[in-house]
Amino acid sequence: MTLEIEAALQLGGFSYEAAFEARDEIVVLFGHSGAGKSVTLQAIAGLLKPQTGRIVIDGRVMFDSAAGVNLPPQVRPTGYVVQDLALFPHMSVAENVGFGAPRSGHRKVRVAELLGLLQLDGFEGRRPRSLSGGQQQRVALARALARDTRLLLLDEPFSALDESLRAGLRRELLRLRAELGLTIVFVTHDLREAHLLADRLAVFDAGRLLQFEAREAVFRRPANRRVAELTGVANLFQGRVDRIDAGGLVCEVGGSALRCTPGSGLRCLPGDTVDIGIRAERVVLRRGVGPGEETNVFEARIVEEFAYGSTHTLRLVPTGRGPALEVELAARPYDVLGVAGRKTWLVELPAEDLQAMPVSAAAALP
Amino acid sequence: MIERLKRPGVADRGGAVTVIVLSCVFALFFILPFAGLIERALEDGGAWETWKTAQARDALWLSLWTSTLTVALAIGLGTPVAYALARTHFRGRTVIDALIDLPIVLPPTVAGVALLTAFGRKGVLGEPIESWTGLTFSFTTTAVIMAQLLVAAPFYVRAARGGFDAVDPQYERVAYTLGASRVRTFFRIVVPQAAPSLLSGIVLCWARAMGELGATLIFAGNFRGETQTMPLAILQAFEGGPGLSGAIALSLMLLAVALGALVLFRLVARGKVAL
Repeated sequence: MTLEIEAALQLGGFSYEAAFEARDEIVVLFGHSGAGKSVTLQAIAGLLKPQTGRIVIDGRVMFDSAAGVNLPPQVRPTGYVVQDLALFPHMSVAENVGFGAPRSGHRKVRVAELLGLLQLDGFEGRRPRSLSGGQQQRVALARALARDTRLLLLDEPFSALDESLRAGLRRELLRLRAELGLTIVFVTHDLREAHLLADRLAVFDAGRLLQFEAREAVFRRPANRRVAELTGVANLFQGRVDRIDAGGLVCEVGGSALRCTPGSGLRCLPGDTVDIGIRAERVVLRRGVGPGEETNVFEARIVEEFAYGSTHTLRLVPTGRGPALEVELAARPYDVLGVAGRKTWLVELPAEDLQAMPVSAAAALP
Repeated sequence: MIERLKRPGVADRGGAVTVIVLSCVFALFFILPFAGLIERALEDGGAWETWKTAQARDALWLSLWTSTLTVALAIGLGTPVAYALARTHFRGRTVIDALIDLPIVLPPTVAGVALLTAFGRKGVLGEPIESWTGLTFSFTTTAVIMAQLLVAAPFYVRAARGGFDAVDPQYERVAYTLGASRVRTFFRIVVPQAAPSLLSGIVLCWARAMGELGATLIFAGNFRGETQTMPLAILQAFEGGPGLSGAIALSLMLLAVALGALVLFRLVARGKVAL
């Protein structure tokens, strides 16, 4: 199924504007609460009317402000799971799931099929309140699927669950998606969840869609500093463009020249100020002394260490020129390199991971 | 530590004793008048004769069917109002809220006088309606129902509104996305969840209508077979011929029927008895 949305609205002091699409994939809407993610889902489901825009599902126009079209939620082919699930407390599991199923002789068969698909066999007669959090979650999914929709809108569906349960349900969602060929718009503020599930990622902040691209593109090539911050880029600093050549940009940061990759939204000239970022896990530590003549390599000292078990986070300050850095190392390389016994290291910032971005969101506009 | 724990225990025992004593006093206050009724009726002995009279049967029947119709009207007219009040926010909602509560606070006699000024033969609406259609309301059975509706319907509307308020609108929104119309959503999602409040509203409304006296007396009068409900019959018996013993017999009759009806209604509502 395909979804195209373009919408804008003003709600009190909150202004919202976004445009993206989903085609047989999982699009994750990522951002802090109040960023506009839930508003997007409500607009798609027909529970909230944008002031301007157009929403098209599988070629059928659901909403078009210019043409005066606004289909009610009842006829929109979406399965919407709200954050608090809203399972009908006075109905059994089977009645909940069957509520949205088309009225026909096959309803019972359909309900049984869905309960089987979501591993809820034997729970038909139970009330939602007597189920565990994970089971309630599956009932909500089954209920949304009962409408024979292939477009699921999921609003932080796993946020109320334990981490251990979430992992299982995420895998189950991926299985369902593969089995049923679902298109899913998934809202979350959990970065790991976003990374795991997203084919494409839409980053929202304060009612604006900041970037909409394939997951890797967003994580490796954030469009601007705000996207970089939201997606967990630990090292962000400002630099001045020194020269532009076929290999990219050379920028001056804290007195040393660093070769960077320009982000897609970047338009700059030598002398301009740019934001530069690199993810903590992309920084390379090497044994050795003295910076030598290599570009993007300088010497730094470890000043702080945090051990998270599976990973270690190190804070380094340069012994000479260069920016201060946060470096993340997995437990195994940390041991193999012998980081614990040595304070001074050569730090390499690979040019393809060192991202130059426009200083403000406004500069990204063509 | 142990000393500290003991002290509230002693205080608790004192508290429990106080609660029990006060509860007993309160219970006696409620039980004694009814016990007195029964005792006097047994002593007088003529209760059965009173119950068999046509006047008693007419009054009881009138009370039963008018109050039941009143409840039906309160449900039909009051449910949309209660739902609208629970789901919408508009200027002046507090005023409408207060207006609906007004009959609960006012003495029923005031309601009766108000009805006369509106729907009486010289009333604001009553006079033009009579000159156009020839219909009169005051001192008819219709007036009995109107008086009961004005006084009793607010009890239903108030309870229903509280019930609707307690149903999270999120359920309705989800039902819409599942393809359910507003009507289906209301009856399948909202009403079942608000059912306990709706049922208690129905009971309150019916009981209030059964007991209505003041407004009915002023707006509908006290005509046997036409506007004389049980409370009016009891009043007439008390003031007129049969005296206290007649009033006692009728009171017991009303009490027994009302109690039976309420118990039956609760059983039906809980699904234990099918009608």
